[in-house]
Amino acid sequence: MVLADLGNKITNMLNTIATALLMSDVDVKLVKKMQTEVKEQCNIDEMASGVNKRRMIQQAVIKALTNLLDSKKRPFKPKRGKTNVFMFVGLQGSGKTTSCTKLAYYYKRKGWKVILICADTYRAGAYDQLKQNATKAKVAYYGSYTESDPVVVAEKGVNIGKEQKYDIVIVDTSGRHKQEEALFEEMQMVHKAVDPDEVIFVIDSSIGQAAKGQATAFQSSVDVGSIIITKMDNKNTRGGGALSAVAATGSPVTFIGTGEKMHALERFDAESFVGQLLGMGNLKGLMDV
Amino acid sequence: MAKNVAVDIAEKIVDSVCTALIGKVVGTFGTVRGVVKEAVEKALTRILTPKRVINILPEIQAAKRKGRPYVITFIGVNGVGKSTSLAKVCAYLQSKGLTVSIAACDTFRSGAVEQLKTHTRCLEARLFEKGYNRDAAGVAADAIAEAKRLKDDVVLVDTAGRMQDNTPLMRALAKLVAVNQPDLVLFVGEALVGNDAVDQVSRFNQALREYSTAKNPRLVDGMILTKFDTIDDKVGAAISLTYVTGKPIIFVGTGQTYSDLKRMNVKMLIRMLLR
Ligand SMILES: Nc1nc2c(ncn2[C@@H]2O[C@H](COP(=O)(O)OP(=O)(O)OP(=O)(O)O)[C@@H](O)[C@H]2O)c(=O)[nH]1
Ligand SMILES: Nc1nc2c(ncn2[C@@H]2O[C@H](COP(=O)(O)OP(=O)(O)OP(=O)(O)O)[C@@H](O)[C@H]2O)c(=O)[nH]1
Ligand SMILES: [Mg+2]
Ligand SMILES: [Mg+2]
Repeated sequence: MVLADLGNKITNMLNTIATALLMSDVDVKLVKKMQTEVKEQCNIDEMASGVNKRRMIQQAVIKALTNLLDSKKRPFKPKRGKTNVFMFVGLQGSGKTTSCTKLAYYYKRKGWKVILICADTYRAGAYDQLKQNATKAKVAYYGSYTESDPVVVAEKGVNIGKEQKYDIVIVDTSGRHKQEEALFEEMQMVHKAVDPDEVIFVIDSSIGQAAKGQATAFQSSVDVGSIIITKMDNKNTRGGGALSAVAATGSPVTFIGTGEKMHALERFDAESFVGQLLGMGNLKGLMDV
Repeated sequence: MAKNVAVDIAEKIVDSVCTALIGKVVGTFGTVRGVVKEAVEKALTRILTPKRVINILPEIQAAKRKGRPYVITFIGVNGVGKSTSLAKVCAYLQSKGLTVSIAACDTFRSGAVEQLKTHTRCLEARLFEKGYNRDAAGVAADAIAEAKRLKDDVVLVDTAGRMQDNTPLMRALAKLVAVNQPDLVLFVGEALVGNDAVDQVSRFNQALREYSTAKNPRLVDGMILTKFDTIDDKVGAAISLTYVTGKPIIFVGTGQTYSDLKRMNVKMLIRMLLR
């Protein structure tokens, strides 16, 4: 009787946690999977009497989420004495161009010689945006107002980077989505021309249930090396969509974007991300019920 | 929820469907599933059917008779597609024979002015711009005055993207709206967004109400939902946004070219949602 009651309580609690995760846009299937895993892990029969069950479950959930974020893959580290090439990809408006500049600025301050390449020949004003950003960050840039083929611009840019012995070349590309095949083919062509050391996938932290499908498509089309999650300065955002994307690609998150200006880039920290995801304040309250 | 409807709102819909179903006798021929589906469809149609119908074209004509341009302001968080949607609306209005000018009031983000410059060049519309780091409300006022002088039918005001919890920027937006009293305030949201959609639109509305200096603050009148082409059948953001605002989705963005602007089709949306 008591045991059955406890089982119910745990199920209730797990449901509450599941709701919190769904409210944070974690992929529905992922939530279900996690629920089962946690249930198995916290086998009530085996729970020693006296241990705090709530805490155990909470810990199990946090561990499961942190595991998802803990990629086995290591992000690429640029090497001195060669030209390291980064290529940015992602959905429209996710924050690629802004994040490119932030990363350029980050490495510049660490003493690397950096050049930004605008291989977005599609979006209106894309080159001006990158140019103005680069000027503010005081880094070199390359692009074209007249060339409409991104492959040509990207190739030229990377060659300039190599010839002029830049340490780091960062290639910005147009926003695209999996539903438009031609755009993905274009991305693969740019990828081939650029032959990057690392492809960085940029994702908006407020993305919902479409995150997983899009991320998977990018992953299978251009081997994503690492991820930047943007717009984390929105405190309401829980980032569950982004988490689902990370889980889907199995790539590590390196940075988060926390504002529009170029210094608003922070190292990713899995624990505090999971904290924001679960809305820790809220969840703690729920757990005490 | 797998279709990206916000959790709270999904629950409310379920509640209302349950209430509607209580006491209903399942007829001999109807299956339970059928009855439930019908009730859900009804609830969704109710949510998605606007209370106030907005007919821009007659409203523009009415403003014209008063000898002033009709002003539409586009607002929303960063990168959702405000400027692109504005360009699409410009093309749409031009196709109806109207003269349109665009006010470049995103004086913050790099390339924002040049982005509009490119669009106005393609569309042969007039651009009013004062460069960067200007007071957006002032630029809008000048643009509207200029449009009045040159007898434009419509002025489309672009604004910088901002996070809904960024108080200084939200204040600045409320000022722009209060000072210029646009005829239509359009909230631009993206179909990709998850549970944050609800918070976004309610906080924009709240800011327009609370930070406004005007006696009768202008709130969001309608919405544009962009990037509909990127979400397969995960169309839930439409439900969440309409549910919280009670305001109509006037256009849906379905791509990156000028013609990718569609009127919202409630039936089609519900079909996708229940598929
Ligand atoms: N608040 C905030 N805004 C951001 C952040 N990162 C980018 N943005 C804003 O998001 C908007 C879109 O950013 P872009 O860098 O132009 O996005 P993009 O992915 O290059 O867009 P496309 O090239 O059109 O696909 C801009 O208004 C940026 O200022 C961030 O971390 N925080
Ligand atoms: N696929 C798709 N892309 C869109 C749609 N609407 C806009 N975009 C793209 O989204 C990106 C951002 O669009 P913008 O119009 O610059 O967004 P914004 O809201 O003005 O951005 P900020 O001014 O930086 O806040 C661009 O790459 C657009 O081409 C749409 O309906 N479908
Ligand atoms: Mg860009
Ligand atoms: Mg814009």
